[in-house]
Amino acid sequence: MSASLSEALQKLANYRSKNSRESLRVFELGAPLLSNDKWMKQKGDGADSYTWLEQLALAAIDVGRTGVADKCIEILSAKFPESPRVDCLAGIYIEATESPEAALRYYQNLLEKDESNAAAWKRQISALRHLGKLDVAVDELSKFLDTYYTDLEGWLELADIYSTCGRYDHALESLQHAMLLAPQNPFYVLQAAETGYTLGDLPLAIKFFMTVVDMTTSDEEEKAGDSVPDGITLRAWFGVKQCTRGLLQDVRGTAYSNTKSRVSPPTAAHLALLDELSTERLLTAYSTSTSSTAKGICGRDALVRWLEGK
Amino acid sequence: MMLGRTLLLAAIAMVLHAAYSVYEHLSYLKALGKPEGTLPQDIVVEVIAAMFIGILGASLNNPQLKEITWRSEMKKRKMDEMDARPGFANYTHRGNSLFGVSK
Repeated sequence: MSASLSEALQKLANYRSKNSRESLRVFELGAPLLSNDKWMKQKGDGADSYTWLEQLALAAIDVGRTGVADKCIEILSAKFPESPRVDCLAGIYIEATESPEAALRYYQNLLEKDESNAAAWKRQISALRHLGKLDVAVDELSKFLDTYYTDLEGWLELADIYSTCGRYDHALESLQHAMLLAPQNPFYVLQAAETGYTLGDLPLAIKFFMTVVDMTTSDEEEKAGDSVPDGITLRAWFGVKQCTRGLLQDVRGTAYSNTKSRVSPPTAAHLALLDELSTERLLTAYSTSTSSTAKGICGRDALVRWLEGK
Repeated sequence: MMLGRTLLLAAIAMVLHAAYSVYEHLSYLKALGKPEGTLPQDIVVEVIAAMFIGILGASLNNPQLKEITWRSEMKKRKMDEMDARPGFANYTHRGNSLFGVSK
């Protein structure tokens, strides 16, 4: 029996490490453990053996089982009284069950008691955003990021808020801070490339797309010459193809002449070569079935039609 | 690896054997009445050989090596994980209506 307990806790820890929001699955795994009470006899009295309770509470709130969430919060506040983390969890419970104004009042209270509770500030910003007060949320988030510059989540959230409003220029600026804080992460470079493309800044976009390809392809694969792009590499190649198309049509550069970044576009010869290379890479990706695409090759006809179009 | 583990065990056995031999030799010398005699050559050779075999065994006896590049690490991640932002997650959505139990 304890094997299934540790197995379940292992799976929950796996979900935690990946930040995945599989709330129904987590709830199904965790709720029986809670009712069983056997987990209390597990080793360790420190915070680590209680993190799954926080995860379960959040998952329960997500799927609307507030009773289970309430029970988790009770156990946690009994074990860790006066903890800012448990206070935030209680705040999330209030957000989900009561009116947003009540939640905002609660967070205001928390922040008055303790200025340095960053998690409460984040929840306040999130509550403001989802209430609809985007301008207040952006103000607060900018103040927050002035104080806590290295909070990667905050910069990504700011980029997300700006993108939903259509302010892609500010979104790109926030993403640049995110890229500074996590330079080894190709996902944020891809997001910046796509934001730049949406903004119309094609030279910047093509530069970032090529950076993503560079980051995700290893040298041995390139030398072998028969590597098949997949994952975000494939998405980046699509981006390169779209950028080369746009740049070839706009030879004089009127569309991107007044962007802030002032990146110079590739030369005409390079552009033609990039166009050819990206076409070849895309066709390779859709012509061979790698082990990851167990379904086989699908969409090749659509790809060919798209490549021939425009 | 099996080879690594056996070599390591053999080296430990050799060291223990050499230690016991030294103890025996010293008690022999004490019995003869000259307690400052030198250590016999073969025990020294045994200890040094045990060291080399032990090093070899410890190097072979290791878990599966993992890749160190960021590239290989990022290959395992997904976009959703990278953009999860759990501190700002929204909990005022339709989950209650879709999954909750009816009162």
